[in-house]
Amino acid sequence: MKVIACYNIKGGVGKTATAVNLSCLAAREGHPTLVWDLDPQGAASFYFRVKPKVKGGSGSLFRRKRELDDVIKATDYDHLDLIPADFSYRNLDLTLEQFSKSTKRLRKLIKPLRSDYDYLFLDCAPGISLVSENVLLAADILLVPTIPTTLSLRTLYQLLQFCEDRGYTHLEILPFFSMVDRRKNLHRLMIDDPPKAGRGFLSSTIPYASEVELMGTKRTALESYAHSSRAAEAYRALWEELKPHLAPSQV
Amino acid sequence: MATLLTYPLPKQDSLPRWRQTLLDRLPLHADAADRYRLHFYDSFDWRLFMAGKLLEWREHNGVSELCLHDSGNDVTALTTRLDRPPPRFAADLPAGRLQRQLDKLLGVRALLPLTCVDVRSQCFRLIDEEGKTRVRLFLEQLRLAGSGGHGRILAKRLRLAPLHGYGNDAKRLTQHIEQNLALLPQAQNLLAEALSGTSKTPGDYSSGIDIPLQPEQRADAAMRRILLVLLQTMETNEAGIIDDLDTEFLHDFRVAVRRSRAALGQMKKVFPVRTLQRFRDEFAWLGSMTGPSRDLDVYLLEFSALQALLPADLRGDLEPLRDHLARHRQQEHAVLCRELQGARYRKLKQQWRRYLTSKLPQRPAAADARKPIADVAHHRTWRMYRRVLKEGNAITPESPAEEVHELRKSCKKLRYLMEFFKRLYPAREISALIKILKKLQDNLGEFQDLQVQSQAMKQFSVEMDREGRLSPQTALAMETLSDTLQDHMQRVRSEFANRFEAFGKKANRQRFERLFHPDAGAENRP
Ligand SMILES: Nc1ncnc2c1ncn2[C@@H]1O[C@H](COP(=O)(O)OP(=O)(O)O)[C@@H](O)[C@H]1O
Ligand SMILES: [Mg+2]
Repeated sequence: MKVIACYNIKGGVGKTATAVNLSCLAAREGHPTLVWDLDPQGAASFYFRVKPKVKGGSGSLFRRKRELDDVIKATDYDHLDLIPADFSYRNLDLTLEQFSKSTKRLRKLIKPLRSDYDYLFLDCAPGISLVSENVLLAADILLVPTIPTTLSLRTLYQLLQFCEDRGYTHLEILPFFSMVDRRKNLHRLMIDDPPKAGRGFLSSTIPYASEVELMGTKRTALESYAHSSRAAEAYRALWEELKPHLAPSQV
Repeated sequence: MATLLTYPLPKQDSLPRWRQTLLDRLPLHADAADRYRLHFYDSFDWRLFMAGKLLEWREHNGVSELCLHDSGNDVTALTTRLDRPPPRFAADLPAGRLQRQLDKLLGVRALLPLTCVDVRSQCFRLIDEEGKTRVRLFLEQLRLAGSGGHGRILAKRLRLAPLHGYGNDAKRLTQHIEQNLALLPQAQNLLAEALSGTSKTPGDYSSGIDIPLQPEQRADAAMRRILLVLLQTMETNEAGIIDDLDTEFLHDFRVAVRRSRAALGQMKKVFPVRTLQRFRDEFAWLGSMTGPSRDLDVYLLEFSALQALLPADLRGDLEPLRDHLARHRQQEHAVLCRELQGARYRKLKQQWRRYLTSKLPQRPAAADARKPIADVAHHRTWRMYRRVLKEGNAITPESPAEEVHELRKSCKKLRYLMEFFKRLYPAREISALIKILKKLQDNLGEFQDLQVQSQAMKQFSVEMDREGRLSPQTALAMETLSDTLQDHMQRVRSEFANRFEAFGKKANRQRFERLFHPDAGAENRP
């Protein structure tokens, strides 16, 4: 199982849109795939029409009072399951602090899933917290949707610096440009001459597109209602570009 | 990953009426009608069926998938998207769990298409207030594909697909179906149903030999029976060899030939001398005629393993050998096909079958022909076992390789005898003894293979040189490989003493004696 975290210190950059659309593409290929909606706001759960509720809350889950298997919900897509968000995730930092190896709790928790799924997508809340450290230690790949602006880049550098300081070398950090609006000068400049960041940006970019916004009313992935749109195509290209990073021997 | 519940419907029922009933009685939404085609696959020797698995390629004009189920309980184990029919070999499937599992189950065997079923399917959903599907129910008609869409109807059914995390909804719908519609769930054996009326039956071929014999049966009758089964095995494998489906067809064919030769060689007093002579010569020809193709198959199958024996920087230099082998295999295969379709082989089969099915002689000239098969089996097996012990005991670390090869041949004969007559002995005990023998055979076989391979490298390099296709780098790689194989051979040879000691240890000798010694109590024999 490969663990792919959609993460950025900033909010509203397309993390959830990425997790939802890529996980659908993975499942369409027949890969058993799981999305964990770790954001108490529950956007991914909303898109999948699953109630943002975990019986017993995050506490019972992280204390292993409740098996993960009990809270997994099948989505309307074949091979795609979801662990929904729960409002109690807003206190997840406090829950995690109680454990001795508090940064490795998530990693430990998902171990039993390895035999059931090929891919686990973590849809993360913004910010740097104990939860995000858990994510950084549990993930194999960090997908970082980044809006092509100077400020967004700054937070990306902060993230890279943070991972370097902590010595998270296992992590493959893959930033890509998201919500790209080519009518904007700055966006164009940055895309055409991408700055050096870590191993560099993925070459796929996700355009700013009204179809993506529509996900909120359609409550489903782009593939289902706008298969031929540019945005859907961009997510497909991004998925293809990711595949070589998901080495089969370790899937 | 979900468990399916299948409710068979009477075949004469009208599906539109069922559709209406479902919508009237249950709070369901109907999707548009859909169709897909199921293609079933297995290897020639039913490896998936034997492992309790069912492989189907679900061809759909949207998303086509290859699914491996646990047969019987309708549980989907593994799936991968696949837009073309599956490749012949599991190794060529998209990488992933299903690919690995199939590769393990199938080994070198090819996937062969068995039959196709056309499915007309309509999905009904139980949807909650968020618009989320909680249970799916499929109303389906399954028809044998072909015949211009007028193939036999195999089944009509309702199939309930619960979704993970919505078990309660599925349970409620199940209760509705069972109480209000008076239906009962029942696992279906779709493949068997689809294959009925064809010449195929799941599990109808195995490369193993398992022939029911009566202990008091005349020895000649029993041996004819065994040899007839072996002849059938040869014939069954012919098409797969000629069509070049996978390498096991030729392998099984050759094993049947070798077993036939061993039977003739070991049963000298059961068959008339002239018959023996004639057919032994013909089977020897068949063995040597099929040899070169098989050897090349083996080199190609093991090529990567051989390559891996070399230091990494030499591995690439071995590639021209692969081409050489592949080219020669092509040629040898053509020769083999010609012979298998030729007059000599046809005549052999005809005459052999005629002899094996002819009337048993009243007063046979062969001394053992009318003896009970159990006595002959017992005697021959014991003799061969004694020979193995004697030859093995005589081998010292200094003994020449030929002596080891002689022992290998004797072991093989012993093995064949034990397998022919397995049913005459207590099943557990004979299987255990075969396993003990096999451990020794593995060592002897490996020794032989390494020696042959090491020499073959030299011979191949002569051939390649003659064909002007041998670069100095490749020559070096092959020479290195040959030396490496020699080294391995020495190691295997040095393990022989221990292996033989284990085989011949007292406890094992006693077990063989209890089963085969002439004075062994008849109570061990049924
Ligand atoms: N490529 C895009 N084009 C237009 N709108 C987008 C795009 N990606 C995301 N959005 C919209 O932006 C908002 C934030 O996206 P979301 O994926 O939820 O970000 P995050 O998870 O990083 O907070 C949502 O309303 C979403 O519909
Ligand atoms: Mg989000």
